[in-house]
Amino acid sequence: MSDENSKGGLLDTPIQYHIQLKKGDVSDFVILPGDPGRVEFIAEHFDSAKLVADNREYKTMTGTYKGRPVTVTSTGIGCPSTAIAVEELANVGVNTFVRLGTSGAMQEHTRIGDKVIATGAVRYEGTSVQYMPIEFPAVASHDMVSALISSAKSSNLSHHVGIVQSKDSFYGQHNPEGMPIAAELLQKWDAWVKGGVLCSEMEAATLFVVGSYRKLRTGAVLLVAGDQARGEALTKEEYHQNMTESINMILEASLDIKVEE
Amino acid sequence: MNRVQKVEQVKHLPIKFGEVARYVIVPGDPNRVPLIANNLDNPVHQGQNREFNAYKGSYKGTEISVVSTGIGCPSTAIAVEELVHIGAEVLIRIGTSGSVDNTAKKGDIFIATAAVRDDGTSKQYMPIEFPAVASHHVVENLIKSSKHLQIESLVGVCQSKDSFFGEVEPERMPVAPYLDSKWKAWQGGGVGASEMEAATLFTLSHIKRVQAGAVLAVEVSDIDTVNKMTKIVIEAINYMEEASNV
Repeated sequence: MSDENSKGGLLDTPIQYHIQLKKGDVSDFVILPGDPGRVEFIAEHFDSAKLVADNREYKTMTGTYKGRPVTVTSTGIGCPSTAIAVEELANVGVNTFVRLGTSGAMQEHTRIGDKVIATGAVRYEGTSVQYMPIEFPAVASHDMVSALISSAKSSNLSHHVGIVQSKDSFYGQHNPEGMPIAAELLQKWDAWVKGGVLCSEMEAATLFVVGSYRKLRTGAVLLVAGDQARGEALTKEEYHQNMTESINMILEASLDIKVEE
Repeated sequence: MNRVQKVEQVKHLPIKFGEVARYVIVPGDPNRVPLIANNLDNPVHQGQNREFNAYKGSYKGTEISVVSTGIGCPSTAIAVEELVHIGAEVLIRIGTSGSVDNTAKKGDIFIATAAVRDDGTSKQYMPIEFPAVASHHVVENLIKSSKHLQIESLVGVCQSKDSFFGEVEPERMPVAPYLDSKWKAWQGGGVGASEMEAATLFTLSHIKRVQAGAVLAVEVSDIDTVNKMTKIVIEAINYMEEASNV
């Protein structure tokens, strides 16, 4: 599928244009943080890992976890750079993608420190509509969701399973009143909250839609790091502790996914 | 708990509070309701109003309702609103569908994880960016049940449309190019099955904080297939009931 989709195009090269990776540099399973600065921290939880590429916002390390090959690549902030990372990683042999990111709470019962396992994402972003019409659901792969849930359960982590919101404008969420389209931002936000959306982030919708189109397995774990309504945020120590829990949760789930050569 | 005082009778359904089970199977066709109910112990016909036909029975001691929605998302939304209002908590659709990307073949059983919102009703509940996703817990148990019963099933995204003839005879529609380009996108995006109710069922259930799922048969609606789908659904309900009693 990957080869077929990229034949003759910009992506039909041994070394992928933006991520600077070729076949053999990555495993079949990749963890996708947004922040390149978080890549090394994630790789510290592997058995061992080595840096394989570092270009623009895309930093990649590959190693193993309990013997299972795993890779971590940062996507940068937002759906545009995420789509590039997913497309190019698929071209060099990745078929399972789990985003690991931070998010803002949207419900009474989503508290800082909670881990949200996304089943789907609100497509309030501009990238996925350049792949699929807006009526198409941004949905995670059910087997990845199941693996993440059983991993969270066996580690006794406080977690939620459900729909998250993906947006393009960070400050549009944090300061909607200051935006010229304040009315739309506030009205939609209210609809997401009433509709039961758990938390807000910036990459999952495009990961899921591109994943459906490229026939990839996708999932996402969003750590609730802030709560606008309550004015709460994780401290640096809490953040590290919770990030470690989230990383281990994904790595344990990776053991449920059959390794594809 | 205060629902008894809150509601006596709903406007469209032939049943009221206290008469619906926690688990409800929701086919489109009112004539399919008794066929599905025949798979339950002690099925009782509770009444029919318009396209809404209601039966109740049980399976392994768990009460299960069967209530038809009629064709399309508008009447489905009415059924879901009223079912939830009188106490339903898990809604599982059984339906017929067409194949979209040709991975699903005639006679296949398709478990929907989510639905393309090519309907008008769900947009009057939630902005279009919101994904119509089935409840993971329901999907998981439907898959487990079909495996246990050794009934092969496909799992994936379905499309929910409003115009039946727009799908089967798009070329005669004034909006033919629009229908055609969208259909090609669904094929390219890996949409497996096309039907007419799931998008609103999933969207509305999420808003109402109840669980929903859908099992679809591809291009067949014979009694054997209906029984097969029903067996998958009632066994999944049994698993869910066992899990909720732990």
